[in-house]
Amino acid sequence: MVAIEVPEVDYTDYSNRQLAAVPLAFLVLALAIIGGWFVVTGAPANLGLEFTGGVELRIADDGDNVELVVTFQAAEDDPEGLANDLEDQASAAGLTTTAVDQVSPSFASDTARTALFGVALAFLGMSVLVFALFRTFVPSIAVVASAFSDLVIPIAAMNVLGIQMTLGTIAALLMIIGYSVDSDILLNDSVLRRTGAFYESVSRAMRTGVTMTLTSIAAMIVMAVVASVFGIGLLRDIGIILSVGLCADLMNTYLMNVSLLRWHKFEGVKR
Amino acid sequence: MLEPIKENWRILLLVVVVIGATVALFAPGFGPEPAPGEDTSEAREGITNLQYGLDLAGGTRIRAPLSGYTATDVAFEGDGPATVAEAVAAELDNASARNVGAVPGERAVEVTEPSVTEDQFRRAMDASGYEYGDVREGVTQETRDETMNVIQGKINEAGLSGGSVQQIQSITGEYFILVEVPGEGRQDVVDLLEERGTVRIDIAYADGNRTAVDEGVLVQKNFDDIGTATQSNRGTGSYVPVTVRNSGESGQSPANTFQDAVVQRGFPDAYNTRSDRCEYVNGSLTGERNPCLLLVVNDEVVNSFGMDSGLADSMGDGSWAETGRFRLTTGEFSEAQTISLNLRAGALPADLDISGEGTSSSISASQGENFRTYSLVIGVLSVFAVAGMVFLRYREPRVALPMIVTALAEVYALLGFAALLGYPLELAVIAGFIAVVGTGVDDLVIIADQVMSEGDVSSRTVFDSRFRQAFWVIGAAAATTIIAMSPLMVLSLGDLSGFAIFTILGVLIGVLVTRPAYGDILRRLLTVR
Repeated sequence: MVAIEVPEVDYTDYSNRQLAAVPLAFLVLALAIIGGWFVVTGAPANLGLEFTGGVELRIADDGDNVELVVTFQAAEDDPEGLANDLEDQASAAGLTTTAVDQVSPSFASDTARTALFGVALAFLGMSVLVFALFRTFVPSIAVVASAFSDLVIPIAAMNVLGIQMTLGTIAALLMIIGYSVDSDILLNDSVLRRTGAFYESVSRAMRTGVTMTLTSIAAMIVMAVVASVFGIGLLRDIGIILSVGLCADLMNTYLMNVSLLRWHKFEGVKR
Repeated sequence: MLEPIKENWRILLLVVVVIGATVALFAPGFGPEPAPGEDTSEAREGITNLQYGLDLAGGTRIRAPLSGYTATDVAFEGDGPATVAEAVAAELDNASARNVGAVPGERAVEVTEPSVTEDQFRRAMDASGYEYGDVREGVTQETRDETMNVIQGKINEAGLSGGSVQQIQSITGEYFILVEVPGEGRQDVVDLLEERGTVRIDIAYADGNRTAVDEGVLVQKNFDDIGTATQSNRGTGSYVPVTVRNSGESGQSPANTFQDAVVQRGFPDAYNTRSDRCEYVNGSLTGERNPCLLLVVNDEVVNSFGMDSGLADSMGDGSWAETGRFRLTTGEFSEAQTISLNLRAGALPADLDISGEGTSSSISASQGENFRTYSLVIGVLSVFAVAGMVFLRYREPRVALPMIVTALAEVYALLGFAALLGYPLELAVIAGFIAVVGTGVDDLVIIADQVMSEGDVSSRTVFDSRFRQAFWVIGAAAATTIIAMSPLMVLSLGDLSGFAIFTILGVLIGVLVTRPAYGDILRRLLTVR
């Protein structure tokens, strides 16, 4: 049987700069993608129906075999009238409409504002609590920075993969905040609050942390695959986003945070 | 006897929670409230007491603000609400007193006619001479409540089980009405909301031994204003104030016509003292056989009224038509509410602005049912994936098996909570469940690794100190998750609040019940040798 053994990494071979370079490069790339998206499309991500307004219909033929998703975003002044027209047309053509979503543009922009506010508030609350827990600057900022990067990288990945930003994917991004902080707190706790040498503490935290994250990634990949087979877009998107976010978290925690903590432990304190 | 209980109370607590969840899930009596005309077993969907939201059951959700404008902090200067409303309505070309409401309790005046613009309303308020603070979009609290009542009444009347209506407030302070109707298509629900019945007032009078009826002495368009149900300030009764229009395009005004009909059928002669009443039973007059006013909704008589002697007299001398006001009096407040509702014949006090600022979504029932099965399969497979990873990592059933069982107990307890609260399951809630399994197993991994690190666990003290260390990390992680999710619970973001509520509940159950229990189980398995 295959066993999962978390590999021991010899961090002494690499300088802090080398360790942090990879996650920082990813972060910069992700920010560049999002920035570019903003310049080209006017929005940082592919906004879904809930954030732009419009009409979306799911249409099936009577055999229930073929399913079609038709989306009209924001172009219409009267989305409700459009929704009715489309429904009538579909039934005239002998098709069954299995779902209709209609969102007016002004409601959508309100939702977008609320969602952005919610994510910002969640992130802020998390940051404040982390600072309160550790009460030292460098380890706390390491957790917050890693969580930030864990959020930004999946958003960039969503743009590249063509996944829309919807309320469901916002939920996934918030889940990432929760998961990401788990492994970071574990690492900080092990290094700062336990006895033992730095590298021993790191490898102890890594053994646990990597298991945790890999378990979650496995669950999310299974969810993404099965949900896409069944055609449940929301759960598929959540699975993909969390898989990407958790991979980013592995990188950020064990490259960026470790280097920040090492700097804090060996150089930062001396000053 | 007490010692084993004290030793294992964490495990016992988990058992109690699981049993409690079982009761909430399966015992009759915790099921959803049946709709009128439906028995308890019909209201249950499947073998459990769980309720499913629109995603998973099919149905329609409409969320829209009520159109209208409200002037706030209005100085009423001692005038009654009807006077104020009339004064403002007089300044508006496209609205009558029926579309203008004054609410002294909220110091507000509102207009509910959609064609009136904010500018027009401001000008009308200025011209009416009443001082006011500001004009905002939307209607008053009273109108919102009233609209909710009307919609709820329509849903109940149509026999749609599980339909609900509520008010929600957005981050910008705007109020929305949220209507959810399981199992109905979008167009049907919109039609139901916009549907209006017919209402009229007839006069029943004695014609020899028979009972004759003058039909339609007042019809809906004759009313200038239909008030809300009001508690009478003297005595116990309640009433609905109404105003009949006293201006006619040609010839007589509706108020005059009505007055003439009342006099012709002998109301002033019949009603002289308080003991004169209307007795109208099953389509005929009984007792004194005094004439009666009948309230007819959709061709069905729903109420009958006599007439106060003072009112009858003022009609007799022809002075009543000048004001055209009377009150439909009843004993019970709830009856007055129904009458007010009936008089409006299902017209909403203010229009739902569905296409302007609203949103609606609808999912067919078969689609919902499929999603229900699929998400169950997805959940089960995800748990298998987690279990597989845990076995691969520990290769020791003693550690891995309890881990998986505890994680499942956590989800089970959450399902129990959902059944107990009657919270409908949605796809977003399912996502929350998966998030809970994920963080739950993460924490169990932390406990297992911490406890088993640095050699064997020989004594209880060693175990306890290691367990406590592990718990600091878990507690800190749980606190951050709760903090991160709590804003979403209260923001009006639809599905997301369900997701946040269940993630937080799951984390709480995990930290308080299941994770300590896992520690105890692990201790027994590792230290008893």
